[in-house]
Amino acid sequence: MILRLAGLRHLSRHPVQLLFGLVGVALGVAAVFSIDLANESARRAFRISVDTVAGKATHRIVGGASGLPEELYAVLRRRGESRTIAPVVEGYARIPGSPGSVLHILGIDPFAEAPFRSYTPEAAAGADVARLLTQPGAVLLLEGTASRLGLSPGGSLPLRAGREQGKVVLSGFLRPPDEVTRQALESTAVADISTAQELLGMEGRLSRIDLRVPEGETGEGALSRIRGMLPRGAEIVPTAARGKAMERMTRAFSMNLQAMSLLSLLVGMFLVYNTMTFSVLQRRQLVGTLRALGVTRGEVFRQVLSEAALLGAAGTLLGLPFGYYLGKFLLGMVTRSIGDLYFVVTIRDVAPTAATFLKAVFLGTCGSVAASLWPAHEATTAPPRDVMRRSAIEKGVASVLPAVSAAGAGLLLLGAGVQFYPSRSVLPAFFGLFCLVAGYALITPGAVALLVRAVQPALAVLFGTPGKMAARSIPASISRTGVATAALVVAVSATVGIGIMIDSFRRTVSEWLDYTLLGDVYVSSFEDRKEPDRRPLPPDLVASITSVSGVKGSVLFNRRMLESPEGFTELFVMRVPAESMRAFRFREGDPDEVWDALSRGAVMVSDPYAYRHGLRKGDALRLRTDKGPRDFPVAGVYYDYSSDQGIVAILGATHDLYWEDRGVDSVGLRLAPGVPVEQAIGRVRGMLGGRPAVVRSNRALKDASLEVFDRTFGVTNVLRALTVLIAFAGVLNALMAIQFERGREHAVMRAVGLTPMQAFGLISGESAVIGGIAGCLAVPLGLAQSLVLIHVVNRRSFGWTMQTFIDPWLLLQAVALALAASVLAGLYPAARLAGSPPAAALREE
Amino acid sequence: MFRRRMPAAAALAALLLAGGWLLWRGGSDAPAPAAPAGTVTALLSEDLPTGFALATAPRPFRFPDDHGPHPAFRHEWWYFTGNLKAADGRRFGYQLTFFRFALSPPGAPRRGSRWGADQAYMAHFTVTDVKGNAFRHHERIGREALGMAGAGVRPFRVWIDDWSAEGGTDSLTPIRLCASGEGASVDLVLRSDRPPVPQGEGGLSRKGSDPGNASHYYSVTRLATRGAVGIGGTSYDVEGSSWLDREWGTSALGDEHSGWDWFALHLSDGRDLMYYRLRRRDGVEGRFSSGMLAAPDGSFRTLAAGDASVEVLGHWRSPSSGVRYPARWRLRVPSEGIELSVVPRVADQELRTFVRYWEGAVSADGVSLGRPVEGEGYVELTGYGEAAGR
Repeated sequence: MILRLAGLRHLSRHPVQLLFGLVGVALGVAAVFSIDLANESARRAFRISVDTVAGKATHRIVGGASGLPEELYAVLRRRGESRTIAPVVEGYARIPGSPGSVLHILGIDPFAEAPFRSYTPEAAAGADVARLLTQPGAVLLLEGTASRLGLSPGGSLPLRAGREQGKVVLSGFLRPPDEVTRQALESTAVADISTAQELLGMEGRLSRIDLRVPEGETGEGALSRIRGMLPRGAEIVPTAARGKAMERMTRAFSMNLQAMSLLSLLVGMFLVYNTMTFSVLQRRQLVGTLRALGVTRGEVFRQVLSEAALLGAAGTLLGLPFGYYLGKFLLGMVTRSIGDLYFVVTIRDVAPTAATFLKAVFLGTCGSVAASLWPAHEATTAPPRDVMRRSAIEKGVASVLPAVSAAGAGLLLLGAGVQFYPSRSVLPAFFGLFCLVAGYALITPGAVALLVRAVQPALAVLFGTPGKMAARSIPASISRTGVATAALVVAVSATVGIGIMIDSFRRTVSEWLDYTLLGDVYVSSFEDRKEPDRRPLPPDLVASITSVSGVKGSVLFNRRMLESPEGFTELFVMRVPAESMRAFRFREGDPDEVWDALSRGAVMVSDPYAYRHGLRKGDALRLRTDKGPRDFPVAGVYYDYSSDQGIVAILGATHDLYWEDRGVDSVGLRLAPGVPVEQAIGRVRGMLGGRPAVVRSNRALKDASLEVFDRTFGVTNVLRALTVLIAFAGVLNALMAIQFERGREHAVMRAVGLTPMQAFGLISGESAVIGGIAGCLAVPLGLAQSLVLIHVVNRRSFGWTMQTFIDPWLLLQAVALALAASVLAGLYPAARLAGSPPAAALREE
Repeated sequence: MFRRRMPAAAALAALLLAGGWLLWRGGSDAPAPAAPAGTVTALLSEDLPTGFALATAPRPFRFPDDHGPHPAFRHEWWYFTGNLKAADGRRFGYQLTFFRFALSPPGAPRRGSRWGADQAYMAHFTVTDVKGNAFRHHERIGREALGMAGAGVRPFRVWIDDWSAEGGTDSLTPIRLCASGEGASVDLVLRSDRPPVPQGEGGLSRKGSDPGNASHYYSVTRLATRGAVGIGGTSYDVEGSSWLDREWGTSALGDEHSGWDWFALHLSDGRDLMYYRLRRRDGVEGRFSSGMLAAPDGSFRTLAAGDASVEVLGHWRSPSSGVRYPARWRLRVPSEGIELSVVPRVADQELRTFVRYWEGAVSADGVSLGRPVEGEGYVELTGYGEAAGR
């Protein structure tokens, strides 16, 4: 009881310490919680929407990128399968004027729906089905969605699908049977299949046909009966496969964010360590007295740990709301990134789950306890007499310092070794990365001691006695300065590592854009590469823009998705001349050979595709064509940064042998020398005649691509800033702790003649030394991290091959950051010391 | 005579107008709840929809054109029912009905999508296996698009998915009926030498005093039927006779009626009797109750409300829906010397489709013009368990 009271009293008397400990835990927890929340919510929203849209369908009939011919459905019905099948036309449309807001268009046949989906269970749903079927543009929305869009029944809303302008009319409300379905339908407009076809430009096609068959023999019989009726190119896939394939795509992306958030938490734990060490040190007399009075070690140990747990719990409690709002903020960025990189996820709000909460609470509380094990151990292992002496702890630390450093070195080796272990999994890479960081953090105190000794003469020369004193005081309080420095090193190194990685990536992409975008003007039917539902450009438009005066040559492209039970394959169809091979750089193969092979019906695959599928030049690649599966020789592996899922590139002539020609969705124009780009763009725009298409210069397209790139790293940058913020708090915390503790010492110095100015300089100097050393120590760790991130984590997660660019400016920034953080952190204690009369501090005793 | 086939029409109307309740109602295996009476009745008693043709005066039927669809009117049906017998004496009943319902008045602009249909079709198919004491029923709904459903003449054809009725190019018969569902199928050929009989006033069946509140209606009362009935995995060669009702119009039923009991019987003396009794909400038989008696020579007479009487002798409660239906009747037409006792061949012939109703094979015996007579046919019972509440 006394112990507990004493503990509480102590913490309440040192509110600043307490605050920093809390902030450390809170920020760390917030980082983990927010990322979890954003990731989980996006994933859950996605899964729910997949499930809801699939309804009770057990299987689906899928075709190629262009879906299925609508006649297939009619044929199946005429052959008596009407009870087991339902047609679906699905796609996305943007709402002009509200950027980023996407409406999922779900086109169904209401007459076929009963066995499949259940969106309007009430009789009074007010859904006028006759109107839904006959009125062009008629859709059903959730009441909430409608009011958000400012739509009342009968009202209309302009939409853009691809580049086409359309319009929907609200003809009734969806009344989902439960909350989960409601969430999944938040951004969905249910329409008749006719309206969906018209809105999405899919006349004559179906996205898929849902099947519902019972399990067992009857179902198998039905499936094989239906399979026998399918045209070539159509295939039955289990419903569950699609969701899994899509989740697989984003796994690496989510995992990378999670790893980063854990790093923030790790830095936060340094703060807890600081706080607890400090609090143990402050109470060394009390603890000594209690021990001398007969309080057992176990009691003291438990007391310290329970305080830490309390601190952790309180910090977690503070962190959760902050994390919640941060998560809400990050959710937009995460879903936008997933949209840029993979597919459209429509979600409007975070949905915390028990698991997310528990994970954050567990990490916050247990992490705090774990971080306090050492201070608690310190407080209890020393004999009572020793505990009363402050130097005991430092002595203890000093004695274990070599062991700690050795352990650190061991971890470093392990971390480095793991990176070289051949694996395709990203988990060992992250494990190794954490080993590296933790190992480096462990050797940091020892390194600080050594480095300070090294710079001591220089400081003495530069600043005289205060300089020397500043340098000496650091190793003397290494239990806290070492840890504070380690925290700062980890945080700053993370910014270096991530910074170099992003910078290298960006430069690699920018270089790639330079050589891959050979055209001067680009015309496409879509704005973003991942724009949902692109449609082909009108053929006559393609014909006329490629023959505009001033155009020397043109390249025509089309991208299409092939869906198979294994997942999705993006097919890049090129109608280009031989010299376009210049636009590719090959990891395997050379341009001339590749061109010859492509002309003979081969394909080439992008680097990530080759990595993911273990393909090499000369291998055969099986693709699902309209005429059934076919093997294509792989002519080469080229660098590409447009899709981490990888791309299979094929010449138009080869494509047309196996798939239906779905036209061209983008055109690159080479201008004759001397033709101004602006003039050419003007001419092309003049030809559009109101037809929807995006006309862009090479420059504009490149800028747009890099903009998407930067957006992708938005979340990463937020996390990076958060980590630095925590480290900053850590340094502040450590320095203040040290300085407050040494108040009497400083007072003595002031009393014996140290001027306020000198005292200020002494503390600032100490801070600067810590910052400078941390900055310098952060650089090698940062570099190591960047190498791991670039060559191991990114390769394994996304299949990218990146060049490493190390910008010295970035390294300087890091050192400056560390210096600035520590100097800033030292300001308050320094000013306080300089401003307080020495007598007051001395009188305290 | 519009009311006679109202339940199915009501189902379609409610489906299309009241909306999403049926759509997406969940698993097809779950028994569908009956349509709330208020909804259906309110919708059907709406003011006459604009843009459609109205049945205002008797008109001579023109065949074969009138066997085909009349898209200028809002709704229309082809209604086949019949009793069949296998060589071993096993008895079956069947019902195959096709309903057309206009989604919009004629003249709507063409849509870009081929799914943009103006007409929806619904069909009900039932088979009663008397010996097996079993009744199977199935439902199909679809739009007139991509050849999935539709109707036409020359040759006569009405179909939805793989269910169809297909006739000759110049004459209606022979008609081939094909339909199958889980556990039941029919493949029948129907022939008749008798001309179609116009119902009501020369084919105009008035349902109220307002002009236009009527429909065009004719029947082919006796069609010799041959073919095969499939029950489970077994196919039976069958013979028997069927009844075809054809009706089209635009108006809907008034609010004062709660339902109707309809009888269509083939008597062993060669006469065909149809009579329906409209039940008013206040329990009184409605004055629009009506009927028809056709002789083998093609002559016929119309029966008015007072010409026949129906007395309920027993009831049956559906174990699935809990609805209590009349299950035995005495049907009298005193002026024709007819007195019949009518009994369902199988008690449970309840269609648990969107709108629940009872329609099933019955047998009859009694006297006609003083001589003992037997009969068989179909009875339809609607409006039970709706207004009364269950």
